[in-house]
Amino acid sequence: MELLLGRFIELDLATCLQVVMLGAVGGVLSGFVGSGGAFFMTPGMMNLGVPGVVAVASNITHKFGKAMMGSKKHGEYGNVDKRLALFMVATSFIGIRVAVMINSALFGNADGHGAGGTAASNLYISMIFILILFFVAISMLRDAMKSSKEGAGPSMKISAFISRLYLPPYIYFKVSNVKVSLWVILVCGLATGYLAGTIGVGGFIGVPAMIYIFGVPTAVAAGSELYLAMFMGAWGALSYAFEGFVDIRLAMLLYLGSLVGVYVGAYGVKVVNEVMIRMVTGLVILLCVLSRAVAVPMYLRQLGLISMDPAWDPYFNNISKAILFFAGISGLCIILYNVIKAYRQRRRIRSTLIEARAMQQTVSTTT
Amino acid sequence: MQLICISRGTFSGGKSLAQKLARNLDYECLSWEDLVDAANQEGIQVGKLEMATVNPAVFSRRLVLEKEQFLAFATSYMCSRLMESPGLVYHGRAGHHKLAGVSHILRVRVLADYEQRINMIMQERRLDRQKAARYISAVDEDRKRWAYSMYGVSLEDPANYDMIVNLAGMNTENAASALVSTARLPDFQMTPADVNTLKNLDLAARTRLTLAKDERTHGASVKVRADKGVVTVTYLPQDAAMAEFIPAVCAGLPGLKEVHATMAMTNILWIQEEFHPDSDLCDQMVEIATKWNAAVELIKLEPEDKAPAGGQQAVVEAAEPLDSEFQGYNGGIENDSGHTAEDDSPLRTTLDKLAREGRSGGGRVVYGGQRQLINAIDPATPYTLVVIGEIFSSSGHAAVLRATRDLRNFLGERFKAPVVTADELGSQYLFGKRDMIRAGACLAVTVVLFFLIFGNQEFVLAFLSQSGWFADAVEHSFPGATDWAPGLVVSAAVFLLIPVVAFCYGTVASSILKLIKME
Repeated sequence: MELLLGRFIELDLATCLQVVMLGAVGGVLSGFVGSGGAFFMTPGMMNLGVPGVVAVASNITHKFGKAMMGSKKHGEYGNVDKRLALFMVATSFIGIRVAVMINSALFGNADGHGAGGTAASNLYISMIFILILFFVAISMLRDAMKSSKEGAGPSMKISAFISRLYLPPYIYFKVSNVKVSLWVILVCGLATGYLAGTIGVGGFIGVPAMIYIFGVPTAVAAGSELYLAMFMGAWGALSYAFEGFVDIRLAMLLYLGSLVGVYVGAYGVKVVNEVMIRMVTGLVILLCVLSRAVAVPMYLRQLGLISMDPAWDPYFNNISKAILFFAGISGLCIILYNVIKAYRQRRRIRSTLIEARAMQQTVSTTT
Repeated sequence: MQLICISRGTFSGGKSLAQKLARNLDYECLSWEDLVDAANQEGIQVGKLEMATVNPAVFSRRLVLEKEQFLAFATSYMCSRLMESPGLVYHGRAGHHKLAGVSHILRVRVLADYEQRINMIMQERRLDRQKAARYISAVDEDRKRWAYSMYGVSLEDPANYDMIVNLAGMNTENAASALVSTARLPDFQMTPADVNTLKNLDLAARTRLTLAKDERTHGASVKVRADKGVVTVTYLPQDAAMAEFIPAVCAGLPGLKEVHATMAMTNILWIQEEFHPDSDLCDQMVEIATKWNAAVELIKLEPEDKAPAGGQQAVVEAAEPLDSEFQGYNGGIENDSGHTAEDDSPLRTTLDKLAREGRSGGGRVVYGGQRQLINAIDPATPYTLVVIGEIFSSSGHAAVLRATRDLRNFLGERFKAPVVTADELGSQYLFGKRDMIRAGACLAVTVVLFFLIFGNQEFVLAFLSQSGWFADAVEHSFPGATDWAPGLVVSAAVFLLIPVVAFCYGTVASSILKLIKME
């Protein structure tokens, strides 16, 4: 067992529960946002000591099954543009393969599977994470603040700019009712695949790309991205499992929380207004970015790029973990508060109805 | 009263054909451009709406409201113009789709020779050939997108028209004469039932516009249906605060007898030949609608030969309101107190039951088959579920099964929402015995899998990392394939195991949530 601990962590009951909780919070957030969840689960696992590459590999494996269940449900409601997703699949596979190769090389190259390799891949994953999710969080918060002032929808500047460019051939997608340049689709597929393979958050690029760049309706974008995520998850799981980085125990524990959480989050979307959804999600992602940024000095020290007392590592890790858990739990509380409020409101309406009916029956009996 | 709708491409000659036809029949002529001018005068920003539909864009809430307002205005404007005159020739986009449910409209699509269209644009706009061709393709594409976005229909689908006139081989004069003869056929004369439907559409559209104009309710996204003076307004939970003003805002509208306000996130369509308020199916519908916060719309599908106006084709008839008194707002909870028993038909009593539960989305009777049914359903209404109960029951068991299957396939192709039969409703959307057995079996498999994986962690991790016993085994069995064989076996195992875990545990999780009614 000890020989394996450089790659896989030992799971005691407390760690198992923490992973289940990561899955639950990630599931609620992913149901709430309509995509992702990995932005919370991947760094959360890294804070528990899981090497970045194993965290990403286990997450993408977990995503495979979750997307399979989710896209089935979306498909029943006609929210999946299979043709659009399949056009993106080819390049997304290339993106994932590139990501797996980079991650595997970084993990294996430093000094075999030791701390240096782990630190190199952790640093790389954290930097990509910070860069991409900082941009996503700021865009979401800007949109939310703009919407609360003007009541307008998301900014369509990118879409308008792309639609002005003439990049034939154009493909027409009937379900989404959009016509998109093949080149734009291929580039977006590549970027989605690369990010899904690197940090496990392909949905954060796939869904906005479909909405903002292709002009796909929001519900169809979420459904089609899940359909795409099923293929990306399968390919990512195969690729990482081939390299020996998938920890199936983590994937299974994540399911325990996420498959329940995703329903609660989806229910939350129905009762929380759109501006608040974007505001809460933006803030949670921003805190996740901050949490990752706090962990960066630790990886730099492990790589020998800065000089710092190794005894400080646990402090950095614990602060990073505290920020992440604070972000997730406060986001979860806001969502649950609204879900419970709506649930109680519904029960109140039902009881009012029963009282009204009882009164009515009494009146008719008397007369 | 007659309505002729001419759908045309840009520079296809449809405009002059419509004008000639109107002149020959002594009807009024209404163009898309007139409609847009009238809408602009009402303060509806049609240009902005057009830009949003033709460019890839996300509809903001403001645009959604603008769209609802424009659709209501277009319906109301066409209804009023039609009811004021003996006949109306409309030329422009998606004319007949503005009056969903009205049959006996003559629907014409005009085509023209492509070269002829290009030459006309080159002459009129002083453009070169390439620019003219690009102009035609861009404008036609924009119109196609508009029709799809606003009404969910394809302009090019021939099934949407009664006639397609190709002006490439016929001059406008002769085409107009041919259409005059066609227009005189009894199939294209409006029936009294059509006039009723027209009045219902007009009242619903006017109600929607009134709500949009009043500052207390202008921000609410609502769906309005009217049945012989009874107006059902469904609003979203986030608009609950505005809902209390709905009756006051609507009061005084000509033709309005009663207003019901129902809070609903979505709509469920229930099609059946005979409704029974005490049936299990009705209880299941109420349970599902309550769980989903949905309004249930009823369509009573009767065979064509039962149509009241002797031998008519398709007619759509509203259920009679029970009372003619205007009722005040009841907080989204409909109350049936004070109803006089003018109509105690099962449809009406089922509607009453739904109304008492605050889940009524209105009800209608449709005489005919699949085509008439589709004609009666507003394609712009987003249904979450379509339920088909027993239909054509007089035809015998085998025929009923066949008719139900055919209708299910037919509706399944046209709706995005799942279409289920009454038998499937309970098993698919409510927690029953079958769910319990399935959840139990899946739970058992999940427990076994977790036990196997977590009880043998060392063994599993050696396998996943392709080291220890697994590496030895591969080296022993396949000495020449140690580079790729372990990875391949591990990939295959992960690929097979993960969907099983996700499916089994996912089924358990969704069954539990189904049980506590939190889907």
